[in-house]
Amino acid sequence: MANHMKNDIAWAPAGEPNVDGDLSHIPYQEVNNDVLRTMTETSRLYWVGLIMSVLGVGVFWFLPWGYQIYSGQGVTGLNTPAFWGIYLTNFVFWIGISHSGTLLSAILFITKTPWRRTIYRSAEAMTFFSVLTAAVFIFVHMGRPWNFYWTMPYPNQRQLWLNFQSPLMFDVFAISTYATSSMIFLYFGSIPDLAAVRDRITGWRKPIYKLLALGWRGTEAEWHWLHKSYTFFAVFIIPLAVSVHSIVSWDFALSKVPGLNKTIFAPYFVVGAIYSGSAAIVTLMIVLRKVLNLKKYITLHHFDKLGMLLLCMSLLWSYINVMELFTGWYANTSAENETLIYRMFDGPWASMFWIMIFTNTLMPLLYIFKKCRTTIFITLIVSLGVNVGMWIERYIILTTSLPRKFLPFMWHDYSPSWVEISMTIGSFCFFVMLFFLFVKLWPSMSIYEIKEDIGVPMKKGH
Amino acid sequence: MEKAVLGLFTYVDELIDAAKKLRGSGFEITIFSPIPINHELEHEFGEKPNYTKYLTFLGAIGGFVFGLVLTLGTAAMYVLPRGGRSIWPVTPTLLMAYETTILLAVVFSLIGFGLFARLPNFKKKIYDPEITVDSFCILIEDPRGRQREVENLLKEYGANEVKTLDE
Repeated sequence: MANHMKNDIAWAPAGEPNVDGDLSHIPYQEVNNDVLRTMTETSRLYWVGLIMSVLGVGVFWFLPWGYQIYSGQGVTGLNTPAFWGIYLTNFVFWIGISHSGTLLSAILFITKTPWRRTIYRSAEAMTFFSVLTAAVFIFVHMGRPWNFYWTMPYPNQRQLWLNFQSPLMFDVFAISTYATSSMIFLYFGSIPDLAAVRDRITGWRKPIYKLLALGWRGTEAEWHWLHKSYTFFAVFIIPLAVSVHSIVSWDFALSKVPGLNKTIFAPYFVVGAIYSGSAAIVTLMIVLRKVLNLKKYITLHHFDKLGMLLLCMSLLWSYINVMELFTGWYANTSAENETLIYRMFDGPWASMFWIMIFTNTLMPLLYIFKKCRTTIFITLIVSLGVNVGMWIERYIILTTSLPRKFLPFMWHDYSPSWVEISMTIGSFCFFVMLFFLFVKLWPSMSIYEIKEDIGVPMKKGH
Repeated sequence: MEKAVLGLFTYVDELIDAAKKLRGSGFEITIFSPIPINHELEHEFGEKPNYTKYLTFLGAIGGFVFGLVLTLGTAAMYVLPRGGRSIWPVTPTLLMAYETTILLAVVFSLIGFGLFARLPNFKKKIYDPEITVDSFCILIEDPRGRQREVENLLKEYGANEVKTLDE
């Protein structure tokens, strides 16, 4: 076994925060040990968390969903004209969360950004799990989920076929493509690490990893083709991610409803998605760093860079919000004015609107200061705040537009029922449950790419 | 029966020197590594061709055509007249074709990887589990009756362990 790196270099003790993100002091062997430790050592806290999240999914999501299927959509707060409520808020929110993982990973891969390497695997998993969570909300919103196959093109005798001119059909194809590509991207980049797990793991899991590793041996040819194909994936996934959230925005923007029919919606949704997704990555990294004791790898340097990204996205998001108000005010049509005033100054929506401005525009300004970007507590509060704000943003968009269309006799305020609120809580439990399972079943950090970060061992130097 | 020889190295530059020597002597070698060292190898042995791009291109074209056929075919077979608008609308058709272009390009890239890297492959092959930890290796499956010479060469160039193995 190669011991040179262990003998030559004094490395920081486990758990020591590494401020500048330099990993060169860590031996290769230790990376394998640390990642495998996260998969094999299970604390009582982990089991408590997993069981709680599984129970949460059952109680908060599947029981109310069963009740809704049995009783019909009448148990929700959805009624004429507010047909889009909290379910679609959650759908857009989770699609948004899904955005940053794969997109950020792909962009940072192409630009060869070194700090990507420790965080991208979990970020990609986050993408896949949040797409799954979002997809379930489509079934929930459908009312009759057993008819889901009607959205798929298949020959039938009733002369019914899909209308490909509907943005909802764009959605079906865009999200299916995104889910498939994200899953391939996640799995494909993990093959060498699955082989590393296969070589060390024992018991019932060994044959599973043997199968998943596809017989990987780390030959020159395997690395060559992996790199070439992975580069293509990264290139294709960037425009795909942008197209997916543009298409989600067109579900709303291609209507004639005041508050929804805006040409700025596509970039607004894409920026919002990257913003909320990046904030979710920050929150997730803080939790993983603490719970799996990965302070050596996920360093303050990463939070510094992610903080700058969040600040940039916050400024972009705020600009688009101001533009939305400005163009509405400039157009000065009564319906547009009504929607804006209703959103900003009326009832519960006003308080939510200003909370959103506080969490998404004002709080991230703290990131101007490096001290704030590298203080974990502040970073956690800001990232959580951004996600609360982004959820509110989607909720406000949907619940202040359809219920407030042109003529006052059609107005009808929407408020979610306990079934909808419960399923919203359940969706978070579902996401957490998937992540709990992920960290035990999949290498949550890329072993081989962290080793790349450590450096190629050369006797004569580079 | 002659056995294959596997040399385990700690340092990549030593491995490359040994690989150069062995290839120069006419041996067929396979290089293993725990991390991608293609940059270093290509610097020494020249750039390798990239055939996956053809498959990716084929997938992209196939996906685009599939998207067009699906949307235009549907519109032709199940006509939905909408107030004088075109039966074959351009924008939604291109949008659908865009998604299917990317989908099939990604799937074909994956197929390309499997095809050229010859994976999955579950046959028993010569391998050392230390490769996924920290060992860089050279495998000479057919030493052509010069097993001792190969072993000595690997040691001379810095291999910290040389193994003789059956297939």
